[in-house]
Amino acid sequence: MVVDLIFIVLAIFAIGGGVGMILFAQPMYSALSLIVCLMALGGVFALLSAPFLFMVQIILYAGAIITLLLFIIMFLNIKNDELPDEPNKIVTIAIGAVLLIPFNILILKAFNTFPDKPMNILGNDFGDIHSFGIELFRGWLVPFELISMLLLAALVGAVVYARKEKIDG
Amino acid sequence: MADSLLSYITLAMILFSIGFLGVISRKNIFIIYMSIELMLNAINIIFVALGRYNESTGPQVIAMIVIAIAAAEAAVFLSLIVVLYRKKKSLNTDLFTSLKQKDFSNE
Repeated sequence: MVVDLIFIVLAIFAIGGGVGMILFAQPMYSALSLIVCLMALGGVFALLSAPFLFMVQIILYAGAIITLLLFIIMFLNIKNDELPDEPNKIVTIAIGAVLLIPFNILILKAFNTFPDKPMNILGNDFGDIHSFGIELFRGWLVPFELISMLLLAALVGAVVYARKEKIDG
Repeated sequence: MADSLLSYITLAMILFSIGFLGVISRKNIFIIYMSIELMLNAINIIFVALGRYNESTGPQVIAMIVIAIAAAEAAVFLSLIVVLYRKKKSLNTDLFTSLKQKDFSNE
């Protein structure tokens, strides 16, 4: 099946990008791995019949948020010897991975009780920009307006934080 | 394989675990920020998969709201990183201890 193959390739890219992100010492390489991971997740959205979210993921996440992150990383211009040294990074990751296994098993057991249903890509206009907009402006109007206030508050907050303060002694 | 809900949930849980491990194991504040983004994305995958399972568009709207919140978080978090780097000249989270209780035994 072609869809299975696409899903497996996307999952490999997503997991590989994530693992690379937490293992690289340089934040620049981590951000580039994260872009690979987020692009692959956009493909997973497309497989789940959400073409509008696929576009939003590529444009907004990989295009805007991570680009802002890359801009800040380049702006700070961190040298190699200024990076924090993390001697027992691998040991912490290994111990944490072992401790997370029961939690993951619990979640997967809970989802395993769901009856099996075909999840093939829906051909009709499910999840495209028309049905998405209808759902957004009929059912989720108040959260949408609250999001605009949140974004304004975040904008003002970011300006206030990053403003140069007057140094007094 | 791409036809079952469980494979999408498995992918999302693996990514969530990777993000969690990044938060607890790294000291570079940039990596911690990226791990938080990865966890938000994993939860988005679960939302959209359940939305596809129930053939409803509502979870996709929730996922887009989560993306908008992530954008707001990015602005505030990155400006905080700039301020912290300007003050401490480091990215090590072990040094950001202004709010920690003072250790009087060393004085």
